[in-house]
Amino acid sequence: MATGFLSPYRVLDLSDERGLLAGRMLGQLGADVVQVEPTAGSPARRVGPFTDDPAPDNSLYWSAYASAKRGLALDIDAPAGRALLLRLAAKADFLIESETPGVMARRGLAFSDLAQVNPRLIHVSITAFGSDGPKALWAQSELTLWAAGGALLPARDGDGPPLRISVPQGWLHAAADGASGALMAHFARLRTGLGQHVDISAQTSIAEATLSTVLAEAIGDPRGRPPPPGTPAPIRGSSSWLSLDGRVEMALGMGAIGGASTNALFAWMRESGESDPRFDAWDWLGVLAQIQAGTLTPDDLDEVRAVIRRFFARRPTAELVREALRRRILLTEIQTARTLTESQHFTGRGLFATVHEASGPRLLPHAWAKAPGAFAPLTPAPGIGQHSAEVLGEWLDLDALEVAALAAERVIA
Amino acid sequence: MTIRPLEGLKVLELAWVVAGPRVGRALADYGATVVRVDTAARTDPARVVGPFPDGAVDYAHSALWDNCNAGKLGLALDLTRPEARQVVLDLARWADVVTESYASGQLDKWGLAYGALSAVNPGLIMLSSCLMGQDGPLSRTAGFGNVGAAASGFQVQVGREGAEPIGPAGPYTDFVAPRFSLVLLLAALDHRRRTGEGMYIDAAQAEAGIQFLAPQIADNAATGRVAEAMGDRDAHFAPHGVFACAGHEAWLAVAATSDAQWTALARLVGGEALAADPRLKTLAGRKAHEDEVEAAVAAWARGVPAPAAEAALQALGVPAHVAATSQDFCADPQIAARGHLILQPEPRGGVAVVEASRFRLSATPARLDRSAPAIGRDTAEILRDFAGYDEATIAALAEAGVLR
Repeated sequence: MATGFLSPYRVLDLSDERGLLAGRMLGQLGADVVQVEPTAGSPARRVGPFTDDPAPDNSLYWSAYASAKRGLALDIDAPAGRALLLRLAAKADFLIESETPGVMARRGLAFSDLAQVNPRLIHVSITAFGSDGPKALWAQSELTLWAAGGALLPARDGDGPPLRISVPQGWLHAAADGASGALMAHFARLRTGLGQHVDISAQTSIAEATLSTVLAEAIGDPRGRPPPPGTPAPIRGSSSWLSLDGRVEMALGMGAIGGASTNALFAWMRESGESDPRFDAWDWLGVLAQIQAGTLTPDDLDEVRAVIRRFFARRPTAELVREALRRRILLTEIQTARTLTESQHFTGRGLFATVHEASGPRLLPHAWAKAPGAFAPLTPAPGIGQHSAEVLGEWLDLDALEVAALAAERVIA
Repeated sequence: MTIRPLEGLKVLELAWVVAGPRVGRALADYGATVVRVDTAARTDPARVVGPFPDGAVDYAHSALWDNCNAGKLGLALDLTRPEARQVVLDLARWADVVTESYASGQLDKWGLAYGALSAVNPGLIMLSSCLMGQDGPLSRTAGFGNVGAAASGFQVQVGREGAEPIGPAGPYTDFVAPRFSLVLLLAALDHRRRTGEGMYIDAAQAEAGIQFLAPQIADNAATGRVAEAMGDRDAHFAPHGVFACAGHEAWLAVAATSDAQWTALARLVGGEALAADPRLKTLAGRKAHEDEVEAAVAAWARGVPAPAAEAALQALGVPAHVAATSQDFCADPQIAARGHLILQPEPRGGVAVVEASRFRLSATPARLDRSAPAIGRDTAEILRDFAGYDEATIAALAEAGVLR
């Protein structure tokens, strides 16, 4: 018995590393997602990080984002392969792809071609700049798209270059929007009986990660342009601090944005006898006015930070977090990949699942919410062609002989 | 008359700031009736941060608020008032979906947790979206976006190699979480359509964020490695960086994603000698001499205005794009061609500018029926038409100061 909220639906997923996450999200919710890849393997299998094991299938990117899917290796550029793909499309509810605009059309697999074999099919295209427009065919990489969407520029360390997130994010934002768009089109189909084309632009998906600051210029907010040369840097100390055994995050809150949190921190420091009498009388809810009036200087704030730094450095992270929760201080542990996997909080909530690939176990984040019945058990990312015979049998009633013939012709693997 | 995918869907939104309201915005884009609860008693931070028209701080005209709440109806209701509880229950009876994003436990204090709401409407789907989820040892974690980024593993992913990380700009999980909440909510609606079952969804913004680090989680478990910030470099490509161009604060992102792209780039920035340098023909060679490779690009970029540098590289098929300011983004011909910026006339004069839907549906496109609400813009109509209140009841609530 299939489980998960989307268990009645079939997804044909032709995407590579640019779109894998969309199908994964639908698969996590129980849809039957068939990952179609070239017979030589998806290019996403060559995206790191990799295990230390020198096996050919050692991409952990693939492990992560092709999980919750079955695998079909199919040469869709061979006429027999294209024909087979159209037969599968006739049986699918959704088709997801992430080709450069024009590639699917040249294969005779544009939305209009697919709609002929299945008018109910929802076709999701995940592309760099969208399916049309003057930049649709621009050369791109994740970094340049992050730049085009406006998310790169704001992350600055002093006057150095803008910094990206070192784990590439751009295509994930686009693919996640692809999953949303697919389901929105599904609700339209419930009314019309017809599928449609869902067009995702990674550039505009990435713009979500700017907190709407991309709109500044359109309404004349000067923050839409770089500050003129010589503009003094805003007062901004680091919000990360060393504890006795790790690092914690806490912005030095002031006024309506966190002033109460800083007051609570100073109350704790006074109770511990580790405050500095110079700062005991400060009310952080009103401190912004003092800064504006000039009675508080950046040097004073540096001294405050030094006092806090000493206080934190004497205490283990666990104590800081425990007291922060108790006292409503806006502080949390700075998590890494290691501390996340060890976290009692996330493991206790059931976030992680271990799946078993041929080459070994894989620990992956799975259920992003607690919602009884919503998620299907996570299945491991497929090997090349691992489910080819099974899928062709279930979807198209092909028998073993027919599958063997296709394999002999190298149409499938 | 275009068919709208979610026509007739009724949503009560008790969410605030960004992560929750962005879900409601997508529902409104596609035809749902979304009642956004807001109150003068507690200013939504989305109204505080802007951007603002001409840069003048004005909580009534924050573009972030507009972008999160366009298309919704506005109900002014002070949830801290005991009388507000019955209003929420009456609207929960009307609604198909209730969303909320308060700290865990807050709704329960007001007597408005899922149990109370589902008692009046068993088919209700309720989506809670707080930072760490409703239960677990860290469920009470409070904080702004920097806390979410740290709690989900992103703080350490932004920084210069070997330097103290600076974390992402902005509340990163607020950008990731709505995508996951929306997909789950739509799946839950389809499940309810088939089964009639309502349900409670306890979404944690951090758990959505961690999905975007799934390969790094798997890597740590398999190899013990801990992913760290490495500036703008990438293990798969070189050069891969952001370079200062001629002029003030003009930055260009450049990536050579193949050896052929490197050869073309090298010929442009360093002539035949660089393009032919046998040490740099392969990715491994360029990684081994990455400082030298980047220095060559940097020296060239310094003398060229960013748009010209971008055009020169694109002409060679080398991925390049200016690190867009808002000015660049709003003037981008691609953004214009996609119709991404939507101008909405404001009832009180002027225009609001919001972004279009993040997915474009060919047959049933998104549409905004109204601008984002001022506090309480639609209170009377909502209470009359959806809660079924008569004028006297509404007047009494207003008199008591509940509808503010």
